[in-house]
Amino acid sequence: MIEAVRLSRDFGGREAVREVSFSVAPGEVVAFLGPNGAGKTTTIRLLLGLLRPAAGRADVTRPVGYVPELFAGYDALAVSSYLGFLARMKRVPRAEVEPSLGAAGAADLAGRPVGRLSKGQRQRVGLAQALLGRPPSYVLDEPTQGLDPAQVVEARTLLRSLASDGAAVLISTHLLAEAAAVADRVVVIVRGRVVAEERPGEAGDLERRFLELVGRGELT
Amino acid sequence: MTRAVVGKELRVLWASPVPYVVGALLQLVLGLLYVDQLAARRQALFQPAVPIAGFLLLALTPLVCMRAVAEEARSGTLELLLAVPVAGRPLVVGKWLAAWITVLVVLAPVVLFVLLLEWFGNPDLGPVLSGLVGLALLAGALAALGVLASSLTSTQPVAAMTAFFVSLLLWFAHVRAEALSVGGVMDRLSISERLRGFAGGVVDTSDVAFFVLLAAAALTLAAAAVDGRRLR
Repeated sequence: MIEAVRLSRDFGGREAVREVSFSVAPGEVVAFLGPNGAGKTTTIRLLLGLLRPAAGRADVTRPVGYVPELFAGYDALAVSSYLGFLARMKRVPRAEVEPSLGAAGAADLAGRPVGRLSKGQRQRVGLAQALLGRPPSYVLDEPTQGLDPAQVVEARTLLRSLASDGAAVLISTHLLAEAAAVADRVVVIVRGRVVAEERPGEAGDLERRFLELVGRGELT
Repeated sequence: MTRAVVGKELRVLWASPVPYVVGALLQLVLGLLYVDQLAARRQALFQPAVPIAGFLLLALTPLVCMRAVAEEARSGTLELLLAVPVAGRPLVVGKWLAAWITVLVVLAPVVLFVLLLEWFGNPDLGPVLSGLVGLALLAGALAALGVLASSLTSTQPVAAMTAFFVSLLLWFAHVRAEALSVGGVMDRLSISERLRGFAGGVVDTSDVAFFVLLAAAALTLAAAAVDGRRLR
């Protein structure tokens, strides 16, 4: 379960998010949509406990699999060592590394140094670390960024299978087609406020609705 | 968990050129200055090597420690660990142990000086051992200050400079201490004065306790700084 209850936060007097409320139930994939600077990353950081809310609360069933927007790793380590280290940090058996890499389509990268991975490969390794221990909640910031079209399809299938296994999955994305393809619901945030929470429908419908909510000026 | 952090830190640290460069510089400068001292004194003494090595550690330990937390914060891995959530204490203790081990390995070739002294003369091994213990304790305290400085910033050079200047202040804390009304306190804070006893062959428990407490205080603050990054 992932739940944001009237979350608010400002930075130096500038309001970043205000009274953001939504929830992701077990077995559900929710896409978090919004233009750049709308407050998506701030909300994610509030949900993960990386920021203290000025008001409201965040309830996330732990442990949580987290993919940050930018891949974070240790360039000097091999992928398997990197995941082995994170498994220890998450108190997950090291034996979980191999299946996680396999599920993320990164089994062939196990022996490669993290510093020599391409953007798409890093993204797959990022997904693999989130899968360690198969947590009940996932917060994924742009999880398909940098993947090629075939890998995007695989990643979407993976996200759906996580939800089928009973996990609550929140993905933050700019890609409306992705939201339409994978999400059960979309939550749209504009200027720090949730302006809509609905079923995505077809990609074209979602695009029309999103532009309506955000306003074309916001997207340029 | 701490063991996993130590292992990862050692692998990352020794994959970088930092320990090798720091080790080469330390041994080169120490060797030159120590041989100069031996030539001037014409005695088989290890004692002069202790303050020279101590002062060099002041400058070089921050280079080993600067990336400890700062690089994790810059690269985003710290956020990943805090989201797990990993507590600050095992993280900074693991990083400190790895940095301390690295500094000790870098310092280890000074044992060759002792072997050379044995070859050419008949040195008293008491001050040699106490000097080595003093340097090891100093390295531990300086590594803790380095990790603390690294936990306060995301910029490695800033971390290194902060640790160096704080260590420098502690090294020279006794200078002009009498002129200040807190002279006695400053004397007791001076790490060079604390090291002097070890170099002379005296292992005073108050000096040992000083270095241990300095390291513990720095690590406690570093852990608080890391935990503070979680809920800002």
